[in-house]
Amino acid sequence: MFPHLRITNYQLQVHGAGVRLDLYAALQAVINGLLTGALYALIGMGLALIFGVMRIVNFAHGAFMMLGMYATYVLFTRTGVSPYVLFMVAGILLFAAGYVIYFGLLRPIHGQSDFMQILLTLGIGLIATDGVLLVFGADYHQINFPLLGKNLHFGQHLNVNAPWVVSFVIAVVLALTLYLFVMRTMTGRAARAIAQNRYAAPLMGINVFRVQAISFALGVAAAGVAGGLLLPVFYIYPQVGDQFTLKAFVIVVLGGMESIVGAALAGLVLGVVESLTSLYWGNEWALAVDFVIFLLVLSLKPSGIFGRQRA
Amino acid sequence: MSLLEIDHVSKRFGGLRAINNIAFAIEENEIAFIVGPNGAGKTTLFNLITGVFHPDDGAIRFQGKDITHISPNHAARLGIGRTFQLVKPLRNLTVLENVMLGAFLHTSSASKAAEQAREVLKYLQMEKVMHFTASGLPIALLKRLEIARALATKPRLILLDEVVSGLSTSEALALAEILKKLPEWGVAAVGGVEHVMQVVMSIAHRVVVLDHGTQIAEGKPGEVVRMPAVIEAYLGAKYKELGL
Amino acid sequence: MKRSHLLAALVVFILSLLVPAVVQKDFVLQILFRIYLFAALGLAWNLVGGYAGQLSLGHSAYFGAGAYSLALFSGRLGVSPWIAALMGVAVALACALLIGGVSFRLRGPYFVLATIAFAEVLRLIAKNLPEVTGGDVGVQVPALFHGNVNRAFYWAAVGLTAVAFATTVAISRARFGYYLMAIREDEDTALSVGIGAAKNKLAALLISAVLTALAGALYGSLFLYIVPDQVLALDVSNEIAIVAMLGGAGTILGPVVGSVVLESAAELFKNFFKEAHLLIYGVLLVVVVLFLPEGIIGTLGALLRRRALLGGIKASARGVTGD
Repeated sequence: MFPHLRITNYQLQVHGAGVRLDLYAALQAVINGLLTGALYALIGMGLALIFGVMRIVNFAHGAFMMLGMYATYVLFTRTGVSPYVLFMVAGILLFAAGYVIYFGLLRPIHGQSDFMQILLTLGIGLIATDGVLLVFGADYHQINFPLLGKNLHFGQHLNVNAPWVVSFVIAVVLALTLYLFVMRTMTGRAARAIAQNRYAAPLMGINVFRVQAISFALGVAAAGVAGGLLLPVFYIYPQVGDQFTLKAFVIVVLGGMESIVGAALAGLVLGVVESLTSLYWGNEWALAVDFVIFLLVLSLKPSGIFGRQRA
Repeated sequence: MSLLEIDHVSKRFGGLRAINNIAFAIEENEIAFIVGPNGAGKTTLFNLITGVFHPDDGAIRFQGKDITHISPNHAARLGIGRTFQLVKPLRNLTVLENVMLGAFLHTSSASKAAEQAREVLKYLQMEKVMHFTASGLPIALLKRLEIARALATKPRLILLDEVVSGLSTSEALALAEILKKLPEWGVAAVGGVEHVMQVVMSIAHRVVVLDHGTQIAEGKPGEVVRMPAVIEAYLGAKYKELGL
Repeated sequence: MKRSHLLAALVVFILSLLVPAVVQKDFVLQILFRIYLFAALGLAWNLVGGYAGQLSLGHSAYFGAGAYSLALFSGRLGVSPWIAALMGVAVALACALLIGGVSFRLRGPYFVLATIAFAEVLRLIAKNLPEVTGGDVGVQVPALFHGNVNRAFYWAAVGLTAVAFATTVAISRARFGYYLMAIREDEDTALSVGIGAAKNKLAALLISAVLTALAGALYGSLFLYIVPDQVLALDVSNEIAIVAMLGGAGTILGPVVGSVVLESAAELFKNFFKEAHLLIYGVLLVVVVLFLPEGIIGTLGALLRRRALLGGIKASARGVTGD
């Protein structure tokens, strides 16, 4: 069809442009990206929920993910139960933690400026990270369990790491659950009402503080659960959350600050973009590309790729 | 050449026509009032004049110069001062410092700015509260502070959005007495008010009536009040027929 | 600031210069160096974050620009160290123009995130271009001073703090300072009196960047070696912001007091818990936000004002009743 394009031996060649793409490598990268992207989506959705309902810029988000990882890790090393079960416990623990933090620390500064909220959550994140450092030490750990080394093969050229697939499936299920919660339940609807108009919401009989507490706790739990699911396939160390806080913000801005669906899609997109960047330019540039995209979106279309213009 | 010309200006927000083909002119040293219920478009009109928004159609001219697409700080530099309906004082600064900010438009010296600010505050009878922090003032004084700050920029035209709303009748009348003197200082004023009040009647040279973004009357206060369209808008069709 | 206060500041400055006559222990001088350096950094940040009210969490960009310019222009290109430090200032100004130009158009949290993103991009560039910047391994930094190094660097830090302090005093008294405060309190109001918000914010950032870059060059030169994760890290940005917030953003003394408190606390903490000194930063940050939102100096100032106001009211009441 196109005389300049030729596909031989699963390689795409564009004559004259000197481009050679290994199709299967690219496809593999896309698949890996989607797998990572599902976890990103979960983390991003949590942050979008928190920002949408409370306008809180949660700089501790990655730290909560890290706490979820450590919670799962401790339980795993103590009980030997699969992390794919334990992540739920981590989720519950972090939900409780989120609830307490909301009432103890965030509620008192309710009316204050963005500035102050950012600094407060930053402080919480620092305390969490260094608290964990004190207790567990700076060492990197990785867990070991039967499923770990297994790969699933698709044809000759594509393979997929089994633990990632399990994490992916669970993450997708959880993301859908979160979506349904926000869209269908009374609390979820109340949360959206507050997000749209925080002054009218209490007039509708909504208990704003309770809904905000639940939203924050859910957002934190989402991060914690993502951490639990990440544990099998990632190194665990106290500062692991830091990069995820930043990635979560990139995701949320990309997806439109308050849109849960946008965050989910943006998470997947980011995963794929990072994966392709790693393939063609090397791992080190993945985070940098994240930020460049972030800055471009902020400069050109602040409402996000998937977001709507806000008046 | 009029001081301010609104030349068939329209503005839409999404599907809503906030301002629909408005046209009038303000002369130098005039006091005019834009009258219309909340939502009639007064604040939008002020925002268009000062460049917070830009009109979809039409043009705005100030001293003959086209200002349809300027930015707010540029409008201030050209000599258009403005107060806000929901007062926006600089809360953590003192009254004097608030007004100095206006005075700084014409001088870079802090002492000169303070001097000029003091003069403005004297004119508005606010010397006693000069050193209080703005956040502690009652609404009547905050409204005066808005005016003081705008006056300190030595404008040729000052836009006063809902300047008497929230004030008791006596407070409003006291303010009106002060505003009446503005033309002596070379300042024309355009105020936005919700009701045709004693205030408007006693000091205005010209009145423009808006209803849902459309201009329904313009002229001297005495004339406008008798116009059937105005009576209908405010009191209903019944009264129009009664020929009040 | 009243004359008497300025005089007091001058006295403190002179006394600070005399400290090395009494204190000779190297590690004490290094701690004092750090306190003064972060006082200068806090004062520099304060212009943007305190007076103009723009929460920049990406000041490490300018800090690192200063350090890396010194290292690369001098170490790699053979330029004399002090010229290289000045070139670092130029680089920081260029960065500030770019960062400010993009970020100041954004409001609220978007602005903060943009400043972080820029700083992170710089860090990653430094990490990933080893041929240019030495990468993760780092790069050597030439010495700006020879001989009694710790004393010289200490004096330099005191000097930089004095410059930053004087700059802050000058700005706070001038129209520029008032304009910045207006922008902080309410940008729309500021526009309505003719203040060019973008222009003034950028000016504050440029001045801030110059001072921060000089501090970065000093820091790099003291340690003679820098890596990206040290001078371009988020931790640096955070520490600078915390110093100013703790002491009182928007006040003149605030960042100095904040640095004294924070750096001393960190030093003490380090003796008990070797690695987790960030914990104290987090705790102080939470304490400040919850209990001392105006910082130490800000809260003291508010208390004194309230006393004066009450005193004034009591006095005039007495006048009325003729006591």
